[in-house]
Amino acid sequence: MKQNIAVQVDDLTVAYNYKPVLWDIDLEIPEGVLMAIVGPNGAGKSTLIKSILGILKPIAGSVRIYGKSYEKQRSLVAYVPQKGSVDWDFPTTALDVVTMGTYGSLGWIKRPRQKQKKAALEALEKVGMLAFKSRQISQLSGGQQQRIFLARALVQDAAIYFMDEPFQGVDATTEIAIINILKELRKAGKTVIVVHHDLQTVPEYFDWVTFLNVKKIATGPVRDIFNDDNLTKTYGINYKVSIQE
Amino acid sequence: MSSAQIEIQLIASLVAVACAIPGTFLVLRKMAMISDAISHSILPGIVVGFFITQDLNSPLLILLAALTGVVTVVLVEYIQKTGLVKEDTAIGLVFPVLFSIGVLMIAKKANDVHLDIDAVLVGELALAPFDRLLISGVDVGPKALWVIGVILIITIVLLLAFFKELKLSTFDKGLAASLGFSPVIIHYGLMTVSSITTVGAFDAVGAILVVALMIAPAATAYLLTTDLKKMLSLSILFGVFSAIAGYWVAHQLDASISGSITTVLGFLFLLVYLFAPSKGVFAVMYREKQQRTEVSLLTFLLHLKNHDEERERHVNHLNEHINWQKVRSKTVLDLALKNNMIEINKNIVSLTVKGNAFTTQAIDYIITNEDAQIEDMKDDFFLFRG
Ligand SMILES: Nc1ncnc2c1ncn2[C@@H]1O[C@H](COP(=O)(O)OP(=O)(O)OP(=O)(O)O)[C@@H](O)[C@H]1O
Ligand SMILES: [Mg+2]
Repeated sequence: MKQNIAVQVDDLTVAYNYKPVLWDIDLEIPEGVLMAIVGPNGAGKSTLIKSILGILKPIAGSVRIYGKSYEKQRSLVAYVPQKGSVDWDFPTTALDVVTMGTYGSLGWIKRPRQKQKKAALEALEKVGMLAFKSRQISQLSGGQQQRIFLARALVQDAAIYFMDEPFQGVDATTEIAIINILKELRKAGKTVIVVHHDLQTVPEYFDWVTFLNVKKIATGPVRDIFNDDNLTKTYGINYKVSIQE
Repeated sequence: MSSAQIEIQLIASLVAVACAIPGTFLVLRKMAMISDAISHSILPGIVVGFFITQDLNSPLLILLAALTGVVTVVLVEYIQKTGLVKEDTAIGLVFPVLFSIGVLMIAKKANDVHLDIDAVLVGELALAPFDRLLISGVDVGPKALWVIGVILIITIVLLLAFFKELKLSTFDKGLAASLGFSPVIIHYGLMTVSSITTVGAFDAVGAILVVALMIAPAATAYLLTTDLKKMLSLSILFGVFSAIAGYWVAHQLDASISGSITTVLGFLFLLVYLFAPSKGVFAVMYREKQQRTEVSLLTFLLHLKNHDEERERHVNHLNEHINWQKVRSKTVLDLALKNNMIEINKNIVSLTVKGNAFTTQAIDYIITNEDAQIEDMKDDFFLFRG
């Protein structure tokens, strides 16, 4: 049986100020995988996600979500940006930030109502942050902010989740809590794509991996392609990781 | 109060509200400088509009000038995108050029144009009631009141309709884009409203007061609240208060109204900056002092828990042992007593049951690094409260 392709990227080239940071990327992400995107700082991982989500305009190439353009499939996709991409001093509460996840289904002008608020509270509960719902977001720790972002993606109730470094600056407990939620999503048949920096945990957390450094180095099942050869090609230096069997 | 006085205050208040609304979002987007740029670079637009319409309050002039404001933003962003200079430099490059073009145009046509640069920058609120709007011969009030009133209504309608979109794209541009709320459209919408407000208000209050009314109330409100809706309301309140208070200050001192309003705005900001309950300078100083005392208290309690020997827990010994000055030791001792953490028996200090429980829990949290838990714990033990 042929698996559905959730995300298909063809010949994608993206540039900032005419300097390409992603070259001719071809990528197929099968439905239902929990995939890590790995690569050094500045490899273009965030740029890849932003281009798939239409936040950046590529200079060439195309992106398909379940065979259609992103604009048509917005409601199927949820996004957790890199934590540093927003101003945490913004005057708003944890609950309000999570409620923002429902704005996409509301469309322009319509305001969130009881139903949206309830969904947001449930998502907060799921990430163990219900007690903090009225906290101003600057008064949350880094790990708690990360959980809020995760809750905001959960509330979107999407089919495909893109997460840019959800483990950045979180402690072991939060990391386990987050990965368990991601694994639950996969179990529910969702596709989860995560930018990840800790190479040691890739085999344990993920079943699919993409190596990226301006160009796509490799993509496929972790057990087939997560090896020293690809790591060395991606990171430039000799890499040795012991893969747990 | 004469009707002219009431009209002046009314115009100033409406301008204040019309400025506070876009101003709040400009401050949150860290774009305060852009409003300064817009306020200056609309000058050529005003001059061209004036050549065409011969009327400073004509809607066509307002639209033309507002367009210059938006062009400024586009130019600034274009220069910035080249990556050669930073945003503030780009702003500094664009608006003096546009402003000077306006100045030159006025100078060239000075003879047949009744328009001077002073009026554009500082405005003349005191004269606003004399320029009346006549509809088929009937006096319906000062023109400035109508102009700013219409702009204000448009602004409020837009705010109510797009509050959610404005909030989202201000907080998280990336998410807004991925959900299909084009941040570019919202950005230029906000820039257009800011430009129109600036143009509509400049004739009455001058470009400089417009900038002050956009930025100062929002910056003041930002120090006082952690809720966007409250920040908007407070900005509006501060703007209107400054407008009216400034008017009466000017009245007393026989000074410029715009100048007085700006001074009140600055003074209000200073007050809040110093005395705001959580972000103010004094509150921060007080909190730091309190935190130092709290840490000392904890150190002290830990010491008591670690030592059973009586000589280690003698009041006098504690002074030398923990190596604090007398005052500090006394503060800590008093605090611990007040919260029933310790008891003193014949100058020997020991932990109470409550003190013991508190210390044990505190150690746990310190080891697991859960700062937030310590805060909650303090609530439980009523430390420093009541
Ligand atoms: N807004 C921008 N303007 C210009 N260049 C940019 C911009 N954003 C990113 N870049 C450049 O594009 C390249 C890729 O950036 P990107 O943020 O995608 O990297 P990344 O793989 O996510 O890195 P990190 O691991 O540090 O998050 C980098 O060289 C970066 O300097
Ligand atoms: Mg990144």
